This record gives sequence, structure tokens and C-alpha cells, in this order.
Amino acid sequence: MSWIRDDRGSVMVLTLVVAPLLLVALAGVLQLGALRVAAARVRAAADLATLVAVNDQDDAELARSGALRLSADAIDVAREYFARELELSSPLLDRAADEIAAGADVAAYASAPAYDTLTGSRYDRPTVRIAADVPVRTPVFGALVLRPVTVLHVVAVSSPR
Amino acid sequence: MAQDAATVQAARYAGELGGDAPELRRFLADELRAAGIDPARVIVDVAPSRVGWREPIRVSVSSAYPVSIPFLFATTVPLRSSAISRGEVNR
Repeated sequence: MSWIRDDRGSVMVLTLVVAPLLLVALAGVLQLGALRVAAARVRAAADLATLVAVNDQDDAELARSGALRLSADAIDVAREYFARELELSSPLLDRAADEIAAGADVAAYASAPAYDTLTGSRYDRPTVRIAADVPVRTPVFGALVLRPVTVLHVVAVSSPR
Repeated sequence: MAQDAATVQAARYAGELGGDAPELRRFLADELRAAGIDPARVIVDVAPSRVGWREPIRVSVSSAYPVSIPFLFATTVPLRSSAISRGEVNR
């Protein structure tokens, strides 16, 4: 029974078993990293879009009463800039930036206080909110767990100071 | 991600300034330095360089991130970040 204690060739077998597992783990980690970068970009896109919309105040009202009030086209501006920002990351996305922005739930609360039925939040200043589902390509997850697209849910809220 | 964050902040500031300006370059350099990125190795593009009220302005930052495995290889990975804001200066 000396062949039981003979370990010649065992390293090769171990390598053949472990190397694919290591490669799969490495690919998964790289995909997770890419997904994290994509999530940060999508979040920044929504944040910047709401900020741009909130910065655009109703000038007539500001001149008349000094009060901050959202511009009448705040929702359109938020949606337009969300699309523009997403377009910069289009290689990461599974759908066109315009389509994603068109499907986003954009709400403008021109007067305060206001209650957001989606998030349950109370806003004490005029506010613009974007909630969107952004499909991101994850080809490695597709190969590993049959999930080639991961949907990121993003919510961004901005109010003027 | 740090470069992305700095670019977003720079785009906001560019909108506030109404275009490219030395203050914007200084701000971006400070943000990049704080994130451990050498501003001297970064290419910054602001388009258009001067923007009107409610017009879009884009800030792009490109850099080359060095990657190396000792004794095997050394290379650089191009990193590019862009963000769009809106001009806030009514000229």
C-alpha cells in the first residue's frame, strides 16, 4: 500500500482543481469592482442632475419675494441632465441613457413642507428627487450565475440652501 | 472612483464659475491631490471653456494609473472621468 503514501503528482492535481476556482474568484472580484464603480457613477449622475435642476430657480419669484422656488421646468431639466450624465457611462449600461432617464421617476416639490410618497421623507425646502432603476452590464456574473444584467436602484434628492 | 468624485465636484464648480478658470484648475488639483492623484499627470478638458447661463458644460479628467507586478510587467491603465453641469452665471 505504498502508493497511498506516494504524493508524486499531487501538486498537479491540486493545481488543476484549485486554479479554475481561483480564476473564477478573481473574475468575480473584478466584476464586483466594476459594478461598484458603475454604481458610484450612476449615483453621481443622479445627484448632479437633481442639483442642476434645483439650482435653476424661478427668477421672477426670487426677484419679487426673495423666496426660493423651483423653476417650472425643473422635472424636465433633471431628466435631461440625468440622461446627459448617464450617456457619459454608456458602455456600462444595458439600455440607452435616454430610455433610462425617460423611465426614471422624477418629482419636483415646489413648495415646502412636502411629503414624498415614494421614500416617505418630508422636505422642508423645495426639492427635486430622482428615483431610477439603471440596468448595468455584468458579463462575468452572466457567465457565472446567469445574471448578465444587474439593475441598480438609485435615489437622489436635492434642495436649495 | 476618487477621480470620478473630483470630476463631479469640478463640473459643479465650473458651472458656478461659468467656464474654465484658474480657480477651477486649482480646485481640481487640490481635490486630486487629496485623493492621492498627482495633478501634474492628469489631463483636464473643460468644454466649452466659457459657458452661458443654463448651457451645459463638461469637465473631463484623464489620467494613467500605473499597474505593475514586480519582475513580470508594468503598464498603465487609462482612467477617464467626465461630468456635465449647467452654467449658473447670467452674463
